[in-house]
Amino acid sequence: MVDIYSPTPTDGYTTATSTLQTATENLIKTHIPPAGTSQVELQKRYHFEFLLRNLRQGFPERYVSQDASQPWLIYWTLHGFSLLGAGLDDLTKKRTIDTLLALQHPDGGFSGGPGQAAHLLPTYASVCAFAIVGRPGEGGGWDSIDRKKMYDFFMSLKQPDGSFLVSHHGEVDVRGIYCLLAVATLLNLLTPELLAGVPDFLTTCQTYEGGFGNASFPGWAFSTGTAAYDPTAPRPPLGEAHGGYTFCATASWVLLQSYIDLYYASRDQNSASLPKRPTINTRALLRWCTQMQGLPIELGGFRGRTNKLVDGCYSWWVGGCVVLAETLLGVGAHHESPTEETSGEGEEHKGWDDADDALFNRQALQEYILCAGQHSAGGLRDKPPKPADAYHTLYCTAGLSAAQHRVLPSEARRSALISAWDAEEARAKDGTGSAAASDADRERRDALRAQTCAHVLSWSEEDGTAVYVGGAANRVNATHPLLNLTVTHSDGLMAYFYGQTLPSRYPAGARTKR
Amino acid sequence: MSDLLADDPEWADVVPIAQYENVNPIAPIFYSVEYKDATDYFRGVVKTGEMSSRVLKLTEKIIRMNPAHYTAWQHRYKTLIALKLDLEEELRLMDDIALQFMKTYQVWHHRRLLLTALNSVDVAVLELDFLRDVLAEDAKNYHTWSYRQWLLAHFNSEARLWARERAYAEELLAADVRNNSAWHHRFFVVFSSGVRLGDEDREQVLRRELAYAKEKIALAPNNPSAWNYLRGVLEFTKTPFGALKSFVEPYTADKPPSRGEEVVDLDNPLPTPDAELPCVAALEFLADIYEKQGGDAIEKAVEIWKTLGNERDVIRKKYWEYRIRDATPNS
Repeated sequence: MVDIYSPTPTDGYTTATSTLQTATENLIKTHIPPAGTSQVELQKRYHFEFLLRNLRQGFPERYVSQDASQPWLIYWTLHGFSLLGAGLDDLTKKRTIDTLLALQHPDGGFSGGPGQAAHLLPTYASVCAFAIVGRPGEGGGWDSIDRKKMYDFFMSLKQPDGSFLVSHHGEVDVRGIYCLLAVATLLNLLTPELLAGVPDFLTTCQTYEGGFGNASFPGWAFSTGTAAYDPTAPRPPLGEAHGGYTFCATASWVLLQSYIDLYYASRDQNSASLPKRPTINTRALLRWCTQMQGLPIELGGFRGRTNKLVDGCYSWWVGGCVVLAETLLGVGAHHESPTEETSGEGEEHKGWDDADDALFNRQALQEYILCAGQHSAGGLRDKPPKPADAYHTLYCTAGLSAAQHRVLPSEARRSALISAWDAEEARAKDGTGSAAASDADRERRDALRAQTCAHVLSWSEEDGTAVYVGGAANRVNATHPLLNLTVTHSDGLMAYFYGQTLPSRYPAGARTKR
Repeated sequence: MSDLLADDPEWADVVPIAQYENVNPIAPIFYSVEYKDATDYFRGVVKTGEMSSRVLKLTEKIIRMNPAHYTAWQHRYKTLIALKLDLEEELRLMDDIALQFMKTYQVWHHRRLLLTALNSVDVAVLELDFLRDVLAEDAKNYHTWSYRQWLLAHFNSEARLWARERAYAEELLAADVRNNSAWHHRFFVVFSSGVRLGDEDREQVLRRELAYAKEKIALAPNNPSAWNYLRGVLEFTKTPFGALKSFVEPYTADKPPSRGEEVVDLDNPLPTPDAELPCVAALEFLADIYEKQGGDAIEKAVEIWKTLGNERDVIRKKYWEYRIRDATPNS
C-alpha cells in the first residue's frame, strides 16, 4: 500500500531541482499536524492586526521595493480585510480615497505612486481599492475617476497584435491585459475597438504544457512596414506556463466570452464577414492547473510552474483558476431547478454528490494555507520559514476563500439580470465617448455591455457547498473568481457605472436546493 | 559627507517635489532618507522634463535602491535616446544591475529596449552569452528566459543566434533534467518558432525529439517536465499517443525490469534500475491511449484512473474522477 505522505520520487537520480524539492518537503511535512486538521485554526485576529499595523503605522523600509506598487499595498490590505470580515471606519476610507486620487495620472489611468507614469497594473489595484472604500457622490472617489482619459490611455497602449503595453515604453504581458479587461468591465469601458485582437493574442500565449506564459512574439505575423497580418506566421509564446500568467490569461478569456460570441463567427458557422472563432485548449489548461497541486507531503499547496516549489500565493493564482477552467469546460455551474436551461449536459437531476465538487483538492489546499501558510506573528506567507508579507497575506487568504467556497456562474441570476437590463442607461453611462456607426453597431455594443455584465454579475456562491477545514470559525468571505473582490463590492461598483438597479441576489423563496 | 541631492550645490536649481501634498496617505512606506531625497528630486526633473547626464545618474541611484521603479527606468531610457548616448556602454553598465536584480521585470525590459534600438546581431550574440552567465546563477529565471526567447525571435538569425540554442538547452538538461524552463526553451527552439536550419525534415525532427524525451524519461521517469514535453511534441505534430504504447508500458509496471531480462531496444529505452515505479505520468499516458482508442478500451482507462485517484495520485482524486465521468457520459 502506498504511503500517502511519500516524498516525490527521485529515481536514484538527483539534480538541483530534486535536492531543493526534497529539502522543502522535509520542511513542510513538519507542519503536518499529528492529530489531524480538524482543530487547526485560522488566526484571524493576528492576520487582521498584521494588516491593520501596515495600514495605520505604514510599511517598513524594506517595502521600498513596492514604492512603484502603492495601490497594490492598499488593495492587498483592504481586500484582505474584506475577506477576513473587517470593515473600515469612515476616516480611513476618506484617507484611502484621497491617497488613491493622488495616484491618478493627469493623462488617464493610475500609477504606482504620485508623479509616476500611468500603468495597467496599478490601475487595476486602484480601481479595486475604490470598489472597497468608495461610493458615488461628493468625496466618494468614484466620480473622480476620469474614465474617458483612462480609456484613451488604454487605447494608447494598444499593439497591432491585439495586446497592450503595460505603460508607455513598457512590456507586453498578460497580467496587463487582465488588469485592463477587469477595469474596463468594472467601469463600463468595453468597446470592440478596445477588445479587437485580444482573444487571438491570448491563444498565442498558451504553451504546450496547457498553462500560459507571459506574452507571445508578434514580429513575424505583424511585420512593421507591411499592412497585412500573416495568419500563417508563428507567434510563439515567450516564457513557460506559469501560475500568475495562467490566471490572468484564463480570467481574461472568460471575461471575453461575450465579446467572442458577438464579434466572431459561432462554432458551426462559416462566415465571410465574421472572423474565425479563436480557441484555447481547455482540457490541457485544466490538466496543467490540477497538476500544479502539490503532494500530501507538501500539504497540497500549489506550485506556479512544473518542477518548482509550492508557494502560498499560487493558492489563488492556480487554485483559484481551476473553477474558471471548469466553467469553460461546461462542468462548473449552479445546479438550477430542472426548468432552467443548462449547458445541455443532462445534469438537471443530479443530486449532491462528489460529481458536483471542485476538480482540485479543496481540503488539502486549506490545510496547506492553515498549517504552513500562517505565520505565528500574524500574516500569511509563501511557505515556512519565510516571513509574512502583504502580498502573500492577501493571496493565501483569497486561495483559502476559493477552497472554502464554490462560487460559480448562475444561469438563473444571469437571466434575471438580462431581463432587468436597461440598455439605454448602460449606454448613457458608457465612459469611453465612442459612438456607434449604425443601428446594428449600436445594438452589438449594447449587447457586449449587457452580456459581459450579466455574466460577471451572475457569479455567486452555491448554497450548501462550502467546506471549512478546522470548522466554520475559519470561514473567510467569498471572493469573485474573476475579479478578486467580494460580490458586494463588484456589484456596487458595476451597478453604479452601468446605471443599473440590480435585482436582489436573494429573492424570497428562490433558494437552490441544500 | 552627505550623499543627498538636497546638500549638493549641483542640484540647487531643481525644485524637489514631495510625493504627497495636502494628503495624509494611508499605509505609507518608511523610506530611507536617501530614497526620499532621490525621488523628491526625480519628481522635480520629471516635472520640468529635464533629460541630462545628472538625471541619468539620478535614475541609476533610484534603480539601485528600487529596481522596480518603472518610471525611473522609462525616464532613463528616454534620456539615453535624447542625449544620443552609447547604448552598448549602457548595456555593460547595466550588467551588474541585471545580475543583482535578476528577478525584476524592468531590468530585462530595459535591455530589450536597448537591443531593439541598437538593432545589431553582433550585440545580440554578446547578449546571449551574457544571459548564459545569468542563467548559470539561476537556471530558471523567468524573465531571463522570456527575454532570451524574444531576442532569438526578434533578430532571427539562424547561423548566429538560433544555431546553438538546442545544444544549450541540452547542456542545461544534462545538468538538471528537471529544469522545466530548459525543456520549454527546447520546444520554443524546435517547434514553436518555425523551422530551424537543418530541421527541414520534420519526420526526422519528430523522431529525434521523441528519442530525446524517451531517453530522459528512462533516466528519471518521475519527471513531469519530460512527460509534458513528450505529450507536447505528440500533440503539436498530431502524432497519436498510441504510437508510444510499447515505450510507456514498462513504466506502468510495479518495478523496473531486472537486469538479466533487458533487451536493448533503442526506440523504447527501459526505465533505469533505480526508477521508482509505477510512474504516475506513465499510468496517465496509458489511460489517455485507452481513452482515445475508445470502445472496450475505455474500461481499461477507467481502471487506471481509479488506481490513480485511490492509490497512486490521491491528491488529484477529483480530477481523475472527472476523467472517468467525462469518458463515460452515459453511466
